[in-house]
Amino acid sequence: MKIARKLIDSVKPHFSKGGKYEKFHYAFDAFETFLFVPETTTQKGVHIRDAMDMKRTMFTVVIALIPCLLFGMWNVGHQHFLAFGMEADNIQKFIFGAIKVLPIVVVSYSVGLGVEFIFSILKGHPVSEGYLVTGLLIPLTLPVTIPLWMVGLGAIFCTLLGKEIFGGTGYNFMNPALLARAFLFFAFPAFMSGDIWTDLTSEQGQSVVDGFSGATNLSTFDTNFHQMISSSDMFWGFEQGSIGETSAFACLLGAVFLIISGVGSFRIMASVFAGGFLMGLLMNVLAPSDLPNHSMHMPAINHLLIGGFAFGAIFMATDPVTAAHTGKGKIIYGLLIGAFTVILRVFNPAYPEGMMLSILLFNVFSPLIDHMVVEQHIKSRLKNA
Amino acid sequence: MENLISLFVRSIFVDNAIFAFFLGMCSYLAVSKKIKTASGLGLAVIFVMVLTTPLNYLILKYLLAPGALAWISPSLADVDLTFLAFILFISTIAGAVQLVEMVVEKFAPALYSALGIFLPLITVNCSILGASLFMQEREYNFSETLVFSIGTGIGFFLAIVLLASIRERLRYSKIPPALQGLGIAMIVTGLMAIAFLSFSGIKL
Repeated sequence: MKIARKLIDSVKPHFSKGGKYEKFHYAFDAFETFLFVPETTTQKGVHIRDAMDMKRTMFTVVIALIPCLLFGMWNVGHQHFLAFGMEADNIQKFIFGAIKVLPIVVVSYSVGLGVEFIFSILKGHPVSEGYLVTGLLIPLTLPVTIPLWMVGLGAIFCTLLGKEIFGGTGYNFMNPALLARAFLFFAFPAFMSGDIWTDLTSEQGQSVVDGFSGATNLSTFDTNFHQMISSSDMFWGFEQGSIGETSAFACLLGAVFLIISGVGSFRIMASVFAGGFLMGLLMNVLAPSDLPNHSMHMPAINHLLIGGFAFGAIFMATDPVTAAHTGKGKIIYGLLIGAFTVILRVFNPAYPEGMMLSILLFNVFSPLIDHMVVEQHIKSRLKNA
Repeated sequence: MENLISLFVRSIFVDNAIFAFFLGMCSYLAVSKKIKTASGLGLAVIFVMVLTTPLNYLILKYLLAPGALAWISPSLADVDLTFLAFILFISTIAGAVQLVEMVVEKFAPALYSALGIFLPLITVNCSILGASLFMQEREYNFSETLVFSIGTGIGFFLAIVLLASIRERLRYSKIPPALQGLGIAMIVTGLMAIAFLSFSGIKL
């Protein structure tokens, strides 16, 4: 570390104002603060809501994501060895998963940060730490079999059109990580849904077991939800799905951390779960009784455990920039996301997973929700005045 | 009845005039800087649409469609005037817009000056003519036409108010100078359309 510090100090004058490489000041600054604690803190920006600076906020979220990442790695290996009918211990499973997942993470970070660095040099604004979270969220929402160039393309799309053209972190109105996923979902549907959730790279001397089905629970859900795995498996996450979304338990660990540290909004998380649960109950009441296998009969609690519901509710819906900003607005926003997710799952066979699109849709609605909450507040205050 | 409810929901969300067909973009982009004026224009569009589409339906049914003139005299039974649909539809719309303009000028002069040229321009708002033409093409009956026109109008209202609320928030963003104004509105519309894709394929 001392050597790195010395090296940085020696070249620092060139990058400061008036130095030879003044243009690259912010790129250099980003590298320095990545390695060492900076002497300065974030000065201003719309994302500042209290004394906590952005770097700490973002790192808190990254730490909260680690259980999901680690479990995701293990589960990739677990599903892989399960598909081949092979015995493997946990270490083997984890190592296999890590080898598959890490390249996706690396590509997502390097491409996205590359775009940010180019922009910071061109436009002369500091490289923001916002991408630390986005760059980790993107791989966690993708299937493990996705080609790496698609990960890169998604990262470019979300950094460029989701964030930089609005002025960078804190100015966007849609969640960039979900935008990347939605872009890939609509551009390359064959790689984003269907039988793609398990890595079927053949092992030496093994062939794919006959009759293995790679569909996720959400795909079986439309035809007959009774065939799905047990609720406890869904809770712990022994199922197929995107890398980070399978385990509701790992997501909840992250949620506890986010709530204790005050970074994630408890209101949004709770209301998303409440909205999904209530809509699930409503569906059960309305379900046609002559079709016992209809997806409307699915127990409400399973809606919360299946697929990316917990992941989306905890890490995506709570994005402080794109969520509703007012207290009441957050509750309305969360309830709508949860309810609409269940509606999409049940009524829209084209997209088995409603979470992503539901959050994106209410990202669009959140400024209007805020506007209405504020207007209503002004009206009630005027009445009492 | 179920059919009508489904048509209503579909015309607001699934077949949204803006996000699914990109109709009526000019006033949508131009009058969406503030929520207040945007909702004023949205209401005017709803009104004109609900007035003109059923009216055009009647014109189509009793004047233009093949054999429609049979009620005057049986000798006219093989007359087909559908080629006049465009010109008659647009003149109905123009008449209705005149009416709206007079009403708005009389009762909401502030809104009238805020909307400016875009109020008379509702005449050529593609989504309104589009609603009439969809009505003709999809062969709706009268009640379907009525529900469809209300739904399409609300869909336009929703779209323009949503864009206005996002643009009000984006006022604090550091958008590159080249993209300010219309450029960013176009990109925002594209991103919103991605979010509205979630409705496509819903079976009702």
